[in-house]
Parts: sequence; structure tokens; C-alpha cells
Amino acid sequence: MGRPVRVLLFAMARTAVGRSELEWTVPPEGIPATELARQLVAAHPRLAAPLRSSRLVRNGRYVRRPTERVRPGDEFAIHPPYGGG
Amino acid sequence: MSIRLTPRPLPVAAAWRELEGPGAGGVVVFVGRIRPDVSPRGRVVAVNYEAHAPVALARFRALDARARRRFGAIRVVLWHRVGRVRAGEASVVVGAACGHRAEAFAAARYLIEDLKATVPIWKTERARSARPPRPRRGRRAARSSG
Repeated sequence: MGRPVRVLLFAMARTAVGRSELEWTVPPEGIPATELARQLVAAHPRLAAPLRSSRLVRNGRYVRRPTERVRPGDEFAIHPPYGGG
Repeated sequence: MSIRLTPRPLPVAAAWRELEGPGAGGVVVFVGRIRPDVSPRGRVVAVNYEAHAPVALARFRALDARARRRFGAIRVVLWHRVGRVRAGEASVVVGAACGHRAEAFAAARYLIEDLKATVPIWKTERARSARPPRPRRGRRAARSSG
């Protein structure tokens, strides 16, 4: 199976899950980013609401296509709407 | 380019020094501070900032490059606090040094507006209730009244 995906959670997403980081196991060929998001919601139903307004980030880059694959060892972040300043 | 994402207080006067140099006919610095606003939850005493640091710093570099390209900025400052920032303290400092004032104002405005919209930084307000504390009803009081 290889290394897990490191999932980073911020703001509302962190509050919903109660943690700022998770490890998630995916198959060696990876899974689509949207499928990973679906699996995370299945495990943490309170994540559903913040995910609707969030951007997904894989290895520091925004996920542009829902079919983009997340592979073992990747970093996958959930970014709720920003609020700096 | 001067970019910072730091838990330490932002030295506003130092931002001016970063922007000094030949060719800068217009220098604009914007400082955002924590307001002690009153909300239903009480008075804001601090704001906690969190960031996805590697992505935030990459966005800062992109903003710097765009300010140079779009407004001819000669020097740029982009500083933001993370962690707990108390009311009255600066949470963000942006600045631009350009050839003329119009470009400097436009560049500084662009930097702060785009920072708020596109840099992965989040805030959580910490409020202190304005309601007076409830009187204590301890065992001792109950005994003495009996």
C-alpha cells in the first residue's frame, strides 16, 4: 500500500473533524481527489458542510480537475474560504 | 521582495526601510490592525491566525511578481502574523514602492485585496463576554445562611 496520504485540515474543516491532520490510506495507483474527499466525508460527516465551499490542494497546488489522482505519500489539504488580513 | 509569515510582532517602521531606495517616487504602506469590535459573543480581545505556510509563501511570491509586472513596483513588502494577535496589534503589513504615487496606491491596494482573497490564511476571533460575572453560590454561603 505504501505511505499514507497526509491530509491537512484548516479552519472550519479542522473544527469539523477535531484534528488538524489525518493519515489516509489509498491504493498504489491513487484515487481521484473527489473520491478521497467523499471518503473523508463518509468517515467524518461533519466535514460535508465545510467541504462544499472549500478548495482542494494536492502537494501545494490547487486541484483543477476532479479526476486528478491523489497517490500514496501525497499531501492533500482542504482550504475553506480564506480570511487573512 | 520582503515576505514574512511570522508569530512575532510586525515592526511597521521597518517596512518603510525595506521600501527605501532609488527610483521610488511613491511609497505606500498599509497596516491592518485587530479592532476590539463588540459582537454578540463579547468584545474581541485577540484573533488567532493559521496558515498553510508553504502555499501561503508561494502566493506571496506570486503577488510580488504580479505587483512588479502590473504596477511597475520596484520593491514590495508582504508580512502577515500567524498565531495569536491581540487587539490593537498589526496583523498584516503590505507596501509598495513605485515610480509614482498612483501606481504605489494601486499596487498596495492590489496586494492587500488579493492577499485577503487568495492566500491560505484563516482567522478565529477570541472574544471576552461583556456580561457581568454571575454571583457565586458556594457551599460556604449556603451554610452561613442556614
